Amino acid sequence: MSANIRKVWVEVVCVLLCSSLSGVCSAPLCMNGQNGCHILSLSDLFDRVIQHSARMHGISNDLHSEFEQYFLPSKNQIGRVSRNCHTSTILTPNGKENAQRMARQELTEVILKLLLAWRDPLWHFHQSMAHHPDFNKFSSNKALEMSDMAHELRKGVEKVAEKMQMLGIISNSVSSLASPEAPLPANGHKWRLMKDYDLLYCFRRDSNKVQNYLKILKCRIVPEHGC
Amino acid sequence: MELFLQTNSQVSFSFSSHESCSAVKRKGSGTSLEPHFTECISRNQETFRCWWNPGDFHNLSSPGALRVFYLKKDSPTSEWKECPEYIHSNRECFFDVNHTSIWIPYCMQLRSQNNITYFNEDDCFTVENIVHPDPPVSLNWTLLNISPSGLTYDVMVNWEPPPSADVGTGWMRLVYEIQYREKNTTGSWESLETQPHTQQTVYGLHIGKEYEVHIRCRMQAFTKFGEFSDSIYVLVTEVPNKESTFPLLLVFVFGVVGILVLIMLIIVSQQHRIMMILLPPIPAPKIKGIDPELLKKGKLVELNFILSGGGMGGLPTYAPDFYQDEPWVEFIEVDAEDADAGEREDNQASDTQRLLGVHQPIGHHMNIGCANTIGFPDDDSGRASCYDPDLPEQDALLLMTTLLPGQPEDGDSSFDIVERATAPERGDRPLDQTQTGASQTWVNTDFYAQVSNVMPSGGVVLSPGQHLRIQESGLVTEEETHKKGKENKGGEETEDKNPKELQFQLLLVDPEGSGYTSDSSNRQINTPPSSPVPGEGYQTIHPQLVETKPAATAEGNQSPYILPDSPQCPFFAPVADYTVVQEMDSEHSLLLNPPPPRHSPPPSLTQQHPLKALPSMPVGYITPDLLGNLTP
Repeated sequence: MSANIRKVWVEVVCVLLCSSLSGVCSAPLCMNGQNGCHILSLSDLFDRVIQHSARMHGISNDLHSEFEQYFLPSKNQIGRVSRNCHTSTILTPNGKENAQRMARQELTEVILKLLLAWRDPLWHFHQSMAHHPDFNKFSSNKALEMSDMAHELRKGVEKVAEKMQMLGIISNSVSSLASPEAPLPANGHKWRLMKDYDLLYCFRRDSNKVQNYLKILKCRIVPEHGC
Repeated sequence: MELFLQTNSQVSFSFSSHESCSAVKRKGSGTSLEPHFTECISRNQETFRCWWNPGDFHNLSSPGALRVFYLKKDSPTSEWKECPEYIHSNRECFFDVNHTSIWIPYCMQLRSQNNITYFNEDDCFTVENIVHPDPPVSLNWTLLNISPSGLTYDVMVNWEPPPSADVGTGWMRLVYEIQYREKNTTGSWESLETQPHTQQTVYGLHIGKEYEVHIRCRMQAFTKFGEFSDSIYVLVTEVPNKESTFPLLLVFVFGVVGILVLIMLIIVSQQHRIMMILLPPIPAPKIKGIDPELLKKGKLVELNFILSGGGMGGLPTYAPDFYQDEPWVEFIEVDAEDADAGEREDNQASDTQRLLGVHQPIGHHMNIGCANTIGFPDDDSGRASCYDPDLPEQDALLLMTTLLPGQPEDGDSSFDIVERATAPERGDRPLDQTQTGASQTWVNTDFYAQVSNVMPSGGVVLSPGQHLRIQESGLVTEEETHKKGKENKGGEETEDKNPKELQFQLLLVDPEGSGYTSDSSNRQINTPPSSPVPGEGYQTIHPQLVETKPAATAEGNQSPYILPDSPQCPFFAPVADYTVVQEMDSEHSLLLNPPPPRHSPPPSLTQQHPLKALPSMPVGYITPDLLGNLTP
């Protein structure tokens, strides 16, 4: 009996601690600028994620160029035209005007969907790169970096979405989508069929999409000169 | 190739193999050149154009002979469509915004009228990969600096992004590459590293050479550059601006040096004045009549000699003129006429009583004033300023009255008395003489009586004044002046004041003596019962002493005043400051020495000439002025 009571107490304490910790974790990092940390504005957050996405796209481009040398170099980096990326089911705006016309919330959702869709494929790509004899260490490192970047970028965009929710720019439905428990797209296993070169091609394309979408989103939400 | 074999995608495998084969086929076909697309370019990632070439098929060169079809692979069921906009003059197909989609593969195809299709896999693309941005515009340069050697210079080149590229919204992110070379040379271009900013510094251009500079740009993380911009020309010739700074520096340095020299000259020439201002001289110790050198060097023996009155130099302390400048010299003015009137009155009353202060104060006959050359009149005729408040007025006045030196006409008698006082054998004679003269010269006698000794019976032994005192008429002044001071300061002054060569002896008033002194008088006198100062042989008779006088005198009928013999009482040294009470008459009144002969007119008791008004003062008094000088 006493052991049970003790267990119950421990559980209660744990629950309380966990709830408090989760509360702390979910709370923003800075509370009104205390302890010397300054609150980032939405503009700063956007700049950060845009820089991040630019870097990610650059790495994917480098890796893709490396891969291309093993094959016949195509004129327009098209390679095989009929590639089917696993993310092709995600509806994405295919032009500047389309992206500008799209609602902010939808655009944010699209970005998060894309990034989420690439979480597992990039990880496995890195694994295969690390064990492949044809590629040197630099390529393997780049693949790992790319994978990490995609992960961080997704977190960053989630933060931006949170901030936008706080500011009332978008509604709450984005966060539910971006939660880790969100199910992958239906053809989630399709990427296993892709191979590294195609994966790189697709990811290069998608990273460019993400970069452009973020830029357009920032211009719409945080107006600055030239927008 | 291994990857392709491993692919599971059927479509891709077959397509890739077909594509490679077809590509090989085409290349190996020989000399005929099929109609083909030369280029497909997008400038702003929103539209793109494609140009075709009929090749060797000249019959297809006419406009409309070849048609452009494109396949936009945005869905698996997409179909070939014809070019939305032909520009036959250029053999160009233009895809506007509505027909342009990014990130979607396009394939281009040429078809002839009889449905012969000329298609090349190479003509498939995605729009973002065919972007060739327009060249930057508004190129200009500014000179940054010229190297110290004057041979090379740096230039800042800045420009604007191409207007067709939507850089503002971030739809396109451009990086720029500058190239330059010397003009009129066919050398290769120098390329600088691509960077995303709209300005860049070109270092190390040579003076006198003209350079050609142009710029191109491409999309970030893509490979296709746009065209070069128009060239600008950079030329910097030698500019003689070095010398402008050099003379300025020289002028500045010389100016500073000149100012410094001027300041030094001024300081040196005006050295004394500056020293006076900065370090004012400290006044050296000065005593009138004493060489300052003695004071500085601290020759105490000589100082003492001088101060004690020895030597011929002496201190001309009694000259009344000295004190014209000393506003603080205190002395007492005596009104001669009033004094005479008072004398008559006094003659009526007993001397003792006068001494005791029983009678009404006769101060109104006296003008007690301070020697104030400024002429500062006090309301109470200066009494407050010169008067010791502790002293009862009446007593002081009485004392003054009784101790005043006699009239000038009696000076001889007083002089004689003084002279005789030194001779101890003239015991009674001086008494008689003084007694006779005292009645006449009562008012003019000295203020103080010099007590030579205190008898055990209670009598006061008063010593006569010194004959030397008579020599200096100025002492009279001092006497009057000193009277006040004596009352105020008591016995301290006796020790300190010895402004002349006369030697004084200080006799301590024993407070425990037979009633001659009272405690209050002791206080007043404040004489340290230490050794008498050698050479000073007088003491003050305190006014309060006078009070006790009657008691003392009552004790013994004999005159309490005994003229001491010189060997017995060594303090019969010349006493000048005080009136010596020569004897007591039968009525127990003090007979004081007559004043020395006056050499000056009777005192005019005006405050204007206070000093001159006191020639009847017996010599031997030290004025406060001298007191101050002698104070160690």
